[in-house]
Amino acid sequence: MSLREMDLKQEPACAPKTLGNYLWSDLPDENKWADCVHCGMCLESCPTYELTGQEQHSPRGRVHLIKSVAEGKLSVNEQFMDPVFACLDCRACTTACPADVNVGGLIEEARGQIRQAMPLTGWKGAINKLFLQELFPHQNRLNSLGSLLKFYQKSGMQKAVRKTGLINIMPKHLVEMEAIMPEINEPVRKKFKDVDVVKAKTETKHEVAMLTGCVMDVMFSDVNEATVNVLTRNGNDVIIPRNQTCCGALHVHAGDRETGRTLAKKNIEAFKDADKVIVNAAGCGAMLKEYHELFRDDPEWHDKALEFSQKVEDISKYLHDTGYEKPKAEMNVKMTYHDACHLAHGQGIRQEPRDILLDIPGVEMVHMPNSDRCCGSAGIYNITNPDMAGAILESKMENVPEDVEMISMGNPGCMLQMAIGVQKHGRNQKVVHTIQLLDWAYQKEDSLKEGK
Amino acid sequence: MAKKGIQSKDPHVLNLAKIVGYDPVRKSILYEKEDLLAYDCDGFTLHKHLPRVVVFPKNTAEVAAIVKYCHENDLPFLARGAGTGLSGGAIPLNGEVIISMVRMKKLLSVDFENRRAVVEPGFVNLKLTNSISDKGYYYAPDPSSQYCCTIGGNVAENAGGAHCLKYGVTTNHILGLEVVLPNGEIIEIGKDGVPDLPGYDLLGLLTGSEGTLGIVTKITVRILKNPEGKQTVLAYFDKVADGSKAVSDIISAGIVPAALEMMDKTAIEGVEAAAFPVGHPKDIEAVLLIEVDGIAAGLDEQINQILDVCKNNNVREVKAAQSEQERAKWWANRKTGFGAMGAISPDYLVQDGVIPRSRLPEVLKRINEISEEFGLRIANIFHAGDGNLHPLVLFDARIPGESERALEAGSLCLKVCADVGGTITGEHGVGIEKREEMRFVFTDEEIMAQTEIRQVFNPKNLLNAGKLFPSPGRCIEVKKEIAAAASK
Repeated sequence: MSLREMDLKQEPACAPKTLGNYLWSDLPDENKWADCVHCGMCLESCPTYELTGQEQHSPRGRVHLIKSVAEGKLSVNEQFMDPVFACLDCRACTTACPADVNVGGLIEEARGQIRQAMPLTGWKGAINKLFLQELFPHQNRLNSLGSLLKFYQKSGMQKAVRKTGLINIMPKHLVEMEAIMPEINEPVRKKFKDVDVVKAKTETKHEVAMLTGCVMDVMFSDVNEATVNVLTRNGNDVIIPRNQTCCGALHVHAGDRETGRTLAKKNIEAFKDADKVIVNAAGCGAMLKEYHELFRDDPEWHDKALEFSQKVEDISKYLHDTGYEKPKAEMNVKMTYHDACHLAHGQGIRQEPRDILLDIPGVEMVHMPNSDRCCGSAGIYNITNPDMAGAILESKMENVPEDVEMISMGNPGCMLQMAIGVQKHGRNQKVVHTIQLLDWAYQKEDSLKEGK
Repeated sequence: MAKKGIQSKDPHVLNLAKIVGYDPVRKSILYEKEDLLAYDCDGFTLHKHLPRVVVFPKNTAEVAAIVKYCHENDLPFLARGAGTGLSGGAIPLNGEVIISMVRMKKLLSVDFENRRAVVEPGFVNLKLTNSISDKGYYYAPDPSSQYCCTIGGNVAENAGGAHCLKYGVTTNHILGLEVVLPNGEIIEIGKDGVPDLPGYDLLGLLTGSEGTLGIVTKITVRILKNPEGKQTVLAYFDKVADGSKAVSDIISAGIVPAALEMMDKTAIEGVEAAAFPVGHPKDIEAVLLIEVDGIAAGLDEQINQILDVCKNNNVREVKAAQSEQERAKWWANRKTGFGAMGAISPDYLVQDGVIPRSRLPEVLKRINEISEEFGLRIANIFHAGDGNLHPLVLFDARIPGESERALEAGSLCLKVCADVGGTITGEHGVGIEKREEMRFVFTDEEIMAQTEIRQVFNPKNLLNAGKLFPSPGRCIEVKKEIAAAASK
């Protein structure tokens, strides 16, 4: 019989709170599953259901299981962990759901319970700790890693490792990742570390703060640089707060909500004086907009987080809303667009990036069927669930039109995963961030002008 | 995530695993409680029971082998599609072996010349239309769950949909079936998709038999050419009685719209609070969604006639869809209506009564009285054109006694439908939910005659037992059982 009775909800906050077999702090939100009437409209939207056809790997099945723990029918154990952690957290079900059930939020909350009940041990625990706690939150360590990777690429070591077959000692999916590693450049935060405000190139119309992201700034600093270029060209003074840190999305996805909260507080403080927080990574943007979900038990920080989330905007939406100069140089490129899950499903941003691309002269856009289907990257899912991620990537690649030269998107995780897809499936598309293309168009326009 | 090998001690699990094979990533057999729990109900959530095991066959031969095994070992079993059914047809009441058909999901062939297609049962309804629309064809039956539900499930329930007013329900679109009988034998009915074979109409018998006579493994369906033109209008009414009168008048004027849908005030509140709002006014009592299709030349005239009828019935406002996007938006709002109730209520029970259209105003009034009597809100979303009502009883299962009250209120709604000369289900099937209500429309002798037909196909009654018909003499106890289970 369920422990979840009506009176439980009304108990004062000081009582020791549990919910059925959820025995740890930061309990899952029962209002989230109360919205689900088990209609099944979510099934076909879910990549893991498409692959397995199994209820426990579908959104409604997962909600049903998460609810069953609260009803005391299941325990938080290994078997429960499997379906909860096999979710990509891609949020496609949120788009499909007639009742707006926040499945992604529930999954993250359930993972929080699982990680408290069964902390990761062994090599999985070590890897998790290394990446999530020792690396991503520490920009200087990431930068050092970046320098190492740069040394690896520039010194000829990369060539040697690939040639000698030394690379084959790594697991297969890491080999795939090594193969597509982007060229490492100087992080934007390092470049502008002594600059308070990067001034607009024209008359200042707005002042915005920018989240540089952890992985983005090391692996894709050129995307960050493009973002600064595009913002300043369109009349924005750009501030890059020094105290900002990793957004915590990867931690929250992995069930480490405590570290998520610590990082969230740091970022809320770091961006305290900003009116607008511009993000170019869809996963980070969605996380920032949902910070308040982490503080359901802490009213003070909940309010602060809610206020903060109103200031957050994705770069494409921001440009769309505030206006931008249409580039004049012809790019002459045939391309397609991939909807990052946390942009399309997580933030409802679909048309704005496409409009930006279509405003660039000479861009021919080819429709990608199922463009808002997850590519399988899903944060570090491609590392933790390589089989499922590989199968999902395969069906994604089948939808990439053959004859395009570029695939554009708005999220670094997708960029890495799609690059693996291009490499693995013998394709030859260049993977770019939407803002990069806009920046290149501006640059081409400038160099044409200078040439005259 | 994958375990090494099968970890079960149940010999039946091990034997069934031999039939479907072992797949470490996608698992072709489920037997652990955590996985089985996800299969304890379908779209009808008031009754739950764990299956013994769930198997995922890839082809007809595997289905036949599983069925034969169950038959020989006296194991209860049933087939399941997407599990979107609303009457509990796929709920393993007796701890069944669930045979999930979702991995048999291929579109086998399309024959445009003869306007037919062959699909496997796990093929999703809407995918058929999506696969042939570029050639100008579509598959007509369009249940609201068509984004996810399987054609196999549609055959079992004889599913309807918004456009069945003009085009008919699933049975009107089935040309042939391959069926595994409850003893494992494979038969074909309507071979090569030639309709109207001489002899008894077995296709008609199998379609809508709710998975009690056999398991469908291949389906030949009729496909239709897209209508040349389509027009869609919304009509808002201040009084629900005016809306229902308009419905009745449209049909009696001799117009056959492709669809004629209605939602009442509570339903509008639900869909507007949910994911696909269209901005219906909040203070109206009824909205009609009317669609006409066919040869483009005649459409304006039909629409004008419909507008006249609406005006004669005090319509507040009518508007026509100005674009395909707008039309799609209106339909998404209507078709996600059931799920949308989650936005205004934690649980709902949907009913599926059918009445003569002319009795619509009085039946709606009576349903409203039931709502007040039981203190439960009832939203009405329905295919008004063919008199198929869907009263949605809104309740909260967490409040003690409320599930029972909802069941009782729902049953009374069906009684009202039966009493005015209608029936208890239009398209959702009887399943577990309406077994007892079968007595509203059939005598004991008539029910007995039907169970004797079941006996011919399913003599051991291992296939989906306990569905569709009331157990003789136990009606009252069964009703109590459901209520007791629901309150758990």
